[in-house]
Amino acid sequence: MREVLIKLLIVPAATVLLFFMMFPATSYGAAPKIRHSISVYNDNAGENPRQLKRPGGVGCNDSFFIVADSGNGRLLQYTFRDGNVKTEAEFKLSQLMNPLKVEINSKGEIYALDGKQRRIVRLGPDGKFMGSIDPKGLPSPVAFVPRSFDIDMNDNIYVLDIFSSRVLVLNPEGEYQNQIKFPQGYGYFSDISVDFKGDILLLDSVQARVLSAKKHAASFSPLTESVRNLREHIRFPVNLTTDERGRIFLIDRNGGLIIVLGQDGSFLGQASSFGMKEGLLNYPSQACINTEGKVFIADTHNNRVQIFELLR
Amino acid sequence: MKQKGLSLYSKIVISLFVVSFFVAASPAFSENKFKLKEGANAKLCLECHETIEKTLESSFVHFPVKDGECSGCHNPHTSNHGKLLVDDINSLCQKCHDDVMPEKARSIHKAVAEGNCVNCHDPHASNNKFMLLKKGNDLCFECHADLGDFIEKAEFRHEPVEKNKGCLNCHNPHASANFNFMLKNEVPSLCVKCHDTKNKPFASRHMGYPVGDSRCTSCHNAHGSNKRKIIFDDAHEPVARRECEKCHEASTSQTPLKPKKDGIELCRDCHGEMIDKVLKKNYTHWPLVDNIGCLNCHSPHATKQKKLLAGTIIDVCGKCHPDKVALQKISINNPENKTICEPVKEGNCIACHSSPHSSDSTLLIAEESMSFGSCNKCHEWQSHSMHPIGENVIDPRNKNRIVECLSCHRAGGTGNKPKMLHYDSVYTLCIQCHEEYKR
Repeated sequence: MREVLIKLLIVPAATVLLFFMMFPATSYGAAPKIRHSISVYNDNAGENPRQLKRPGGVGCNDSFFIVADSGNGRLLQYTFRDGNVKTEAEFKLSQLMNPLKVEINSKGEIYALDGKQRRIVRLGPDGKFMGSIDPKGLPSPVAFVPRSFDIDMNDNIYVLDIFSSRVLVLNPEGEYQNQIKFPQGYGYFSDISVDFKGDILLLDSVQARVLSAKKHAASFSPLTESVRNLREHIRFPVNLTTDERGRIFLIDRNGGLIIVLGQDGSFLGQASSFGMKEGLLNYPSQACINTEGKVFIADTHNNRVQIFELLR
Repeated sequence: MKQKGLSLYSKIVISLFVVSFFVAASPAFSENKFKLKEGANAKLCLECHETIEKTLESSFVHFPVKDGECSGCHNPHTSNHGKLLVDDINSLCQKCHDDVMPEKARSIHKAVAEGNCVNCHDPHASNNKFMLLKKGNDLCFECHADLGDFIEKAEFRHEPVEKNKGCLNCHNPHASANFNFMLKNEVPSLCVKCHDTKNKPFASRHMGYPVGDSRCTSCHNAHGSNKRKIIFDDAHEPVARRECEKCHEASTSQTPLKPKKDGIELCRDCHGEMIDKVLKKNYTHWPLVDNIGCLNCHSPHATKQKKLLAGTIIDVCGKCHPDKVALQKISINNPENKTICEPVKEGNCIACHSSPHSSDSTLLIAEESMSFGSCNKCHEWQSHSMHPIGENVIDPRNKNRIVECLSCHRAGGTGNKPKMLHYDSVYTLCIQCHEEYKR
């Protein structure tokens, strides 16, 4: 009888336990560890490198990353290989006076939000000006003001239009495809992100909540309650992005935190805190994560970009 | 078949026993608690407390006092509460007067919330109804002196403020279950009780606009004003001139109350030059260019705040920045926190964020540097201490930062951290750079 019990209960339980010990991380809800790799302070330009000044954005892919060096009114292209950062190019355009958020599409084209002219500027991979996003055929009201934007895996562009309280979905040519109105009763939407499934995420900075709309959905619904209720020191998240597993990363501007949520909005963990030392953040603005698990953060008031590594 | 359990008779007896137990335990029925001799109750107390005897001659006497039930509220021997009260003043009154406050009140009088009933009522007796300390508005203006002063000086006063019940014509004295400011009803329902919005003069006075369901207090000061028709003193010019059509569609249109344009575009018609200047800066305060635009912070009609702000500065800013305001409140409410910037104390966010519409610097400051621009307005940072500070002193923690005010302090308030520092103690702050002294 005792042997039967051991076979039926204890052995399967031990097997299950062993499995979870061997594979602790699932793609859904694993709390990632984030380790600081290196910080970028200047443009590495010869003998007189110019310091970064209030960088307000950073975009990345697996080949390079682009820094919006807002205070100097320029974009800087870097590569990061084998632990070394190398400056590849500087793009300074009269059409892009105060670059803030930056995104890169699958062709290596660079999109940047210009804080001064409140428009999204498009550059070729070589940094050549290709125009600004000016979608034709918008449903009424025609006027729009982009507060933020994101680009999905198929190069469609999602614009957070705060003037007409909606998300505009544009095709890679910038032509209007669809719109989703903002839900009522929320605080203030500061950022938008599209995950690998094509779901759209909205960040309400005032209520510190994330909302989501499934791909092709006509409206948003809340994904999280206020993340301030989860941890009292979370203050004012202004940026959100996702990794290739669909985990959501919020950047808390006033608190200097990186907050990690699962696809379902569950709290997975947090990293960094407010400070000036390497690894700490001071009014960060944008994070970007590439498929290699490198996390680039525009550490705005520390006048630098910090590169972190996702350990799992 | 005989039922199991207690008989009806037994249930009645037990119920009576339970009820009589609670009645006997209540303060009003505690006359035998101290085993006083018959007739000795109040008489005994008044032998020493002579002044109370005079009070009993007042027109309105608290019923336990009248019944000689001094021990209903006071313990004649000892107590942990002042005036030998049998319980904390916060809960003592509520034991009998538990119906004063609705269960989930929308707004509560501060004195009531704090249990300070005696701020308004004499607990023994008074010559005023409800044993109030003073008559009518005089009582209210004891605390709300600024308002009393304003009303007294106002050229035009709202009639109900002065007539009949005064303040209590519109406000509940204790709390309001459903309305702000302890109002008896919401605006405009409260207003239309006296003001007929259906008659012709009302319509013509409002230029034919159907404002019967609008919020009257967005233009009128419910207490009084120096402007006719008690329009707020600082009214938006088109409101003062009764030029509603400047911003709204015509009164005869299908949607007469609809603004002619959305967001900032509406304001641009008159304030174009200022708006153009604002929108040329590097960083725009984003709410300025959303669908609400200027009205995120300003009232379109009239307000008692300067520059037509929709509330006090900290209320307006706090609407979107609750985290900042929460820290500011902790900072100023901590008595041990003695070193706090004056603007932080006052909730005057724009003292430092002096360019609230847009700026060429982040954080909406007018100067390029918060430390050497904004802080410098009040503090001579050069003489702050012997610690090296300034443009040529590199922060050892970060080669792209200089040592400045914000290297150690955080301007918007830091909760319970001392001297508005980033850290919990001066020691923790110092060892950030001077690691060799780390204990």
